[in-house]
Amino acid sequence: MLNIQTRQDGTASVVSIQGKVNFEVTAQLRDVIRETVATAQPKLLVINLEGVSFIDSSGLGLLVAARNSVDKSGGKLHLACLPPPVKKTFDQTNLTNYFSIFATEQDALRGA
Amino acid sequence: MAKGVVLVVDDEAPIRDILSFYLKRADYQVLTAGNGAEALVEMGHLKPDLIISDLRMPEMPGDELCKRVKADPATQDIYFIILSALDGTASRIGGLSLGADDMIPKPFHAQEVLAKVDSTFRLIGMQKEIKRQNRELTAFQTRVQEEMELAAALQMGLLPKLPGEAHGVRYTHRYLPASGIGGDIYDVLPLPDGGTAVMIADVSGHGVTAALISAMVKTSFENQVRLGGGPLAWAQGMNEDLCRSTLAEQFATAWLGRVDPVRNVVRYVVAGHCAPLRIVGGARGGLRRSEVLRGKGFMLGLDAQLPFVEQDAEFLPGDRLLLYTDGLVEVEREDRTMLEEAGLRRICAELPEDADAAADVVVSQARAQNAPAAFIDDVTLVIVDRMDGGA
Repeated sequence: MLNIQTRQDGTASVVSIQGKVNFEVTAQLRDVIRETVATAQPKLLVINLEGVSFIDSSGLGLLVAARNSVDKSGGKLHLACLPPPVKKTFDQTNLTNYFSIFATEQDALRGA
Repeated sequence: MAKGVVLVVDDEAPIRDILSFYLKRADYQVLTAGNGAEALVEMGHLKPDLIISDLRMPEMPGDELCKRVKADPATQDIYFIILSALDGTASRIGGLSLGADDMIPKPFHAQEVLAKVDSTFRLIGMQKEIKRQNRELTAFQTRVQEEMELAAALQMGLLPKLPGEAHGVRYTHRYLPASGIGGDIYDVLPLPDGGTAVMIADVSGHGVTAALISAMVKTSFENQVRLGGGPLAWAQGMNEDLCRSTLAEQFATAWLGRVDPVRNVVRYVVAGHCAPLRIVGGARGGLRRSEVLRGKGFMLGLDAQLPFVEQDAEFLPGDRLLLYTDGLVEVEREDRTMLEEAGLRRICAELPEDADAAADVVVSQARAQNAPAAFIDDVTLVIVDRMDGGA
């Protein structure tokens, strides 16, 4: 089971995820992200991965799709607080260079 | 049309008559019998939905009739109500323990019996509907199951035939899809110039969608290899194919390699896939050193413009290449650790000379080291041995 929280910060939306992101929970996460993008139409979507212990290929696919859909609507997607195991998966798949990744949620919100 | 068929069993004719009168007036079809034996004969002509039976009767009493009805698979779903002068909780429990569905104490009001019959038929109606829906669901499930099995067999057919041999290499695989059908695929193709093209890929997600895309990945790889060029051109071509034809969340990690038996190298591209191991002299068995064929590249299908990088690694006669998908090493154990690449390398430090025996050791060791946690993702392991003295 995935724990997902969303909040607004000005024109930005923040989605915080806790748990294991695998094929069993991607549908749940997809709905939350889709709804956040549709209702808040954020200029910036920050996804905080601090509580994520593991992410598999379907989870990565979901994040890539989220970036592409935010791109299309003229917004930006920033990822924040990747724990070491998640960082490793991103490195292995070279997604570190595909996403804008920030050390803290504040940095991600500032876009620094 | 009658609302249903009720069989009234009682040795007293007045009781049969009054019940028949009320039930017929309420639109039920009524059969009657004077004892259990007669009831069984009646049931031979027409199967009732409900039996209302007295307990004490000559020939065959109600408890015996109830036992027989409930013991026969052909009649056990008939609702059975016992009419009994033996009042009190004890006899009620006794009656229900015979397998009867309900009891009505004597003396009774005909209206009371009628109300009970009506409510029983509502229940029977619901049960029939549930049974009908269950039959439909079971039929649907069977059909889906059969289709999945067919698809799984087809997918197995997409894998290279074993034992595999091409231009001085020998290969084998272990393919363990998570749900009968999976998103892993690999291929080995001999090239006209004496080289060998090797590909392993892992499509994001599971099940039918991933399996369909894995078939597409294989076709795309074959097309690219046919066009000539090397792993870099193949990766670019496959990336474009996948970007064009898959949905937003569908990607594949892949490793593409070309074995060059003249230069003794394998040229490869890593597209977000776990880096394979080169086990130096591994095809000869025994204690061996391994190297990781690392590289950085994006998964296939992300974006048609993304770049890939080609690299060379030594690959000598007697060397062994071990390709795998992440499901093999990414099982979370009870202590929350995973086997990972390091654990796999420890397993590969000493393997049998025979590739099939080696593949079995790798899978069984990985399984043992993850236990009691089981593989949850698709798992594919491919071993490619360069034969000694091969061209």
